[in-house]
Amino acid sequence: MIDFTLIFRILVFPGFTFILLLTLFCDWMERKIEARLQNRVGPMVAGPGGILQPLADFIKLLTKEDITPREAKKTVFKFAPLVAFTIMVFAFCFIPVDGASVLSVNGFSGDLIVILAFATIANFLLFLAGWASCNPYGTIGSARVLTQFLGYDIPLFLIALTPAFIAGSLSIATIASSQVIPFILLAPWAFVLFIITMQAELEKDPFDVPHAESELVGGLETEYTGAKLAFLHLTRDVQVVFGSALVVELFLGGPYGPVFFGASWFWYTLWFVLKLLVVVTITEYITCVFARFRIDQVLSGNWRILLPAALLSLMLTVALVTWVYPLVV
Amino acid sequence: MTDIKTWARVKSPWVLHFNSGACNGCDIEIVALLTPKYDVERFGVKLEPSPRHADVLLVTGCVTQQCAERLKSIYDQMPQPKFVVAIGACACSGGVFEGNYNVVGGVDKVIPVTAYIPGCPPRPEAMLDGVVKLLNALNPPKAKKQPKPAKEPEVAKPEVVVAHAAQPVVEEVKPIAKQ
Ligand code: SF4
Repeated sequence: MIDFTLIFRILVFPGFTFILLLTLFCDWMERKIEARLQNRVGPMVAGPGGILQPLADFIKLLTKEDITPREAKKTVFKFAPLVAFTIMVFAFCFIPVDGASVLSVNGFSGDLIVILAFATIANFLLFLAGWASCNPYGTIGSARVLTQFLGYDIPLFLIALTPAFIAGSLSIATIASSQVIPFILLAPWAFVLFIITMQAELEKDPFDVPHAESELVGGLETEYTGAKLAFLHLTRDVQVVFGSALVVELFLGGPYGPVFFGASWFWYTLWFVLKLLVVVTITEYITCVFARFRIDQVLSGNWRILLPAALLSLMLTVALVTWVYPLVV
Repeated sequence: MTDIKTWARVKSPWVLHFNSGACNGCDIEIVALLTPKYDVERFGVKLEPSPRHADVLLVTGCVTQQCAERLKSIYDQMPQPKFVVAIGACACSGGVFEGNYNVVGGVDKVIPVTAYIPGCPPRPEAMLDGVVKLLNALNPPKAKKQPKPAKEPEVAKPEVVVAHAAQPVVEEVKPIAKQ
């Protein structure tokens, strides 16, 4: 007996199709916000308000000629973007969207660690993608990706542990459902630190040194064309949505919110998407108002400021969880 | 299927800008095209850093002998389908530099050109018009429904109209074989 509910959940909602549509929508949102902040209007010809612009870009890239340079390491060059995309989507499947995640109803204890590891692996595959293209700009770009994410993964993990400590669990579903008071109110400093670290992890301004156009042409994407480029772009966009979803789950109370009438999964999805859009807006705002750091500033900022700050935040949380929060919650 | 393909291509032309020996006048006008006032991202136009990502190559300036090789290799690096727009009198024919000892001539001496936008330098509006005509040539109007002409908001209109200023006209857009 085939379980059609599971297949539906994986392929349509809240699985693959939902993630893809959400990603394209967030991409459009980002471009619109960026345009508005720069006093422009942004895409507006493709579809109403330009909402189909990311889709048009994606389809166009899929239909373009696919070039593999003679010097490139063919296998890695061809498959790294696709595998990175797959891993990101798989990681997203662990995030409870409508009150439950795609794969299982409650996840399992420790899935927070698993999805953070998946995000790291996807980043590593992006590095491989750039490295395999054997283009000077591509290799410099991917070397920067590597230095940056190796550094920022440590604070990211440490800060992601803050909500886990407060909730007393490493399972995302439990963390999300135990937020009667959203953790952003209990640990606002961790939220701020997490947003900053995520900005670096997602390689957005002011940390976008790995694909600084003025220095590196296209960074690790320089040699990519056609479908492979489409999947590289898509991987980046899924990463953005995934990071924002993580913030929602860890600090903003996950998909939970008031249910007014009808099915709870509808309201949960609605709350989830709304919170997600708020986070995307915040990160995009940061992207627009900051200029780019140099790579050495990015790295010393990580090791000198963010890492100690993350450790301090962790210590503070442990102290608060032991002595203060029992009085509040 | 072909319809979707054409739609996507028309809605998302990514451009690469190459200066093959211009006096920088045309380049400044191209940069003006990307500023908030004209904002070509409305049409899905994005300035791409790498020729591998681009659909349209915007060439400014006459082709000098040194640049001819580079222009050719940049053109070869672009994935099919690709289009070339020659911007400025120099790119169209060599302009004021025609006949110079180190100048090959217009861009079409080196690579096939799809659209010519004359002017010295052409106004951003003329470039927009040229790009829109190029896109419409890609998407031949159906019998009944004309493709929507690109909307130009009020701000895009020239504010100061100098008397006798020759209005730049896009002269011709060569019909392109549909891909
Ligand atoms: S057309 Fe005029 S502005 Fe453009 S490159 Fe030539 S001389 Fe300069």
